[in-house]
Amino acid sequence: MSADVSDLSLVRRVQRGDKGAFDALVLKYQHKLIKLVMRYVRNPAEAEDIAQEAFIKAYRALPQFRGDSAFYTWLYRIAINTAKNAVVSRDRSPVEYDLDRNNPDESYDMQARLKDSETPEGLVLTDEIRSTVNAAIEALPEDLRTAIVLRELEGLSYEEIAAAMDCPVGTVRSRIFRAREAIDHRLREVFEGGLGRAEELG
Amino acid sequence: MNEELDSQLSAMFDDELPSAECELLARRLSRDEPLKARWGRYAVIGAAVRAERGVRLSARVAGRVSAVISAEPALAGTAMSPRSGPFASRWWRPIAGAAVAAGVAAASVLWLRSQVLPESASLITQASIPATVAAPSPVSTAEPDSYVVPQTPERRVVVPSTELANYVVAHSEFSSPVTRRNLLSAFMASESGTAGAFAGSEEPVEDAQDNAKTTQ
Repeated sequence: MSADVSDLSLVRRVQRGDKGAFDALVLKYQHKLIKLVMRYVRNPAEAEDIAQEAFIKAYRALPQFRGDSAFYTWLYRIAINTAKNAVVSRDRSPVEYDLDRNNPDESYDMQARLKDSETPEGLVLTDEIRSTVNAAIEALPEDLRTAIVLRELEGLSYEEIAAAMDCPVGTVRSRIFRAREAIDHRLREVFEGGLGRAEELG
Repeated sequence: MNEELDSQLSAMFDDELPSAECELLARRLSRDEPLKARWGRYAVIGAAVRAERGVRLSARVAGRVSAVISAEPALAGTAMSPRSGPFASRWWRPIAGAAVAAGVAAASVLWLRSQVLPESASLITQASIPATVAAPSPVSTAEPDSYVVPQTPERRVVVPSTELANYVVAHSEFSSPVTRRNLLSAFMASESGTAGAFAGSEEPVEDAQDNAKTTQ
C-alpha cells in the first residue's frame, strides 16, 4: 500500500474546491498537531489557536502542495514554523519538552503543568473520553485489542500487524474495524449523552 | 450504517485502503456529516489510546477552522501542476486570455469573409451561365419561353451577409468601441463590394433576356 494515499485523495479534493475534504484532514490531525505545538507553548488553549492558524495557513498554501512529501510532514513543518513565530512574537521562551521522549519524570511534571492550565470542562470531558476508551479497549476480545493497540499505540501497518499476529491482512483490517466500532459505540454515548457536548468534537 | 462502508472508512483512516476506493470514499466523506463525525471519533480514539496528555480530546479546532475556511474562496482549479512555476499565475494571464480571444475573433472574421466571397463568385458564375446558355444564336429557332430564368441572387446573397451581421452584433457586445468600429467598417466594405459584384452580375442576365426576346 502506498503511503499517504488517503490523505492525498482528500488533498486533491480540496485542491479541486471541495472544502469538506479539508474538514476530514483537520479532524484527523488536530490532536496530533496540538500535541506537536505544545512543545512550544504551555497553554492548551494557545496551542489550539496556533494549530488553528497552522491549518488555515495550510489550506491557503494547498495549491502549492504537490504531494512530494506526505501531507502530515508538510503540515508538521507549517505548524512548527507557526508555533516558533508565535513564540517569538509573544517574546516567550519555547518549552523544550518533548512529550514523546521517554523520560517519565519530566513528562509527568510537564503533564501536571499542562493540566493546570486547562479549563475544567475540557479536562472533565477529556478524562471521561480517555476512561471510556480505555474501558472499551479492556472489554475487547484479545485479538481485537491486540490489533487496535498495535495499530494506534505502536503505529504498525496492517502488513506488520498481520505478520505479528500470524493472520491475513484482511483479518487485521476486520479486527481493527470491529475494535473501533466497539469503542466508538461507547464513545458516542459520552458525546451525545454523557456531558452533552457532542458539538465540541468538531 | 453500511458495515462495508465503515470498514472502508477505518482502513482509509489507517491509510490502508486501495487508491481507487480512497477516491470514492474521500468524495463521500467530504459530504457525509455522520461519516465525517465517525472519522473524527476515530481520531479521538487514537489520541486517547496514545494518551496524548495536555491535548483536549474535545478540541474545537476543526469547527473553528471549518468556519474560517467556509468564508474563503474555494481552491478550485488552483492546484499547481508539476510544470508550473512561480510565474504560473501572474499578471500576464488575463492579457494572454484576451489575446487568444482576439485571435479567435479575427480568425472567425477572416473565415466568414472567405466563406462569403467564394460564394459570391460562384453566384456570379451561376448568374452568368444562363446568359451564356440562353444567348441564342441568330439562327436559333428555340421556343420563346424556353430560356432559362436564373434564380434571383438576392436571396442567396442575404444569407452570408446575415450571418456576418449577426456575428458583428454578437462580437460588438464584447469588443472595445475602436475594434467594433473597425469591424463594422470592414463589414460595410465587404457588404458594398459584394453588392457591387452582384449588381454587375445581373446585367448579363438582362442582356441575355433581351437577346432572347429579340430573337423571338
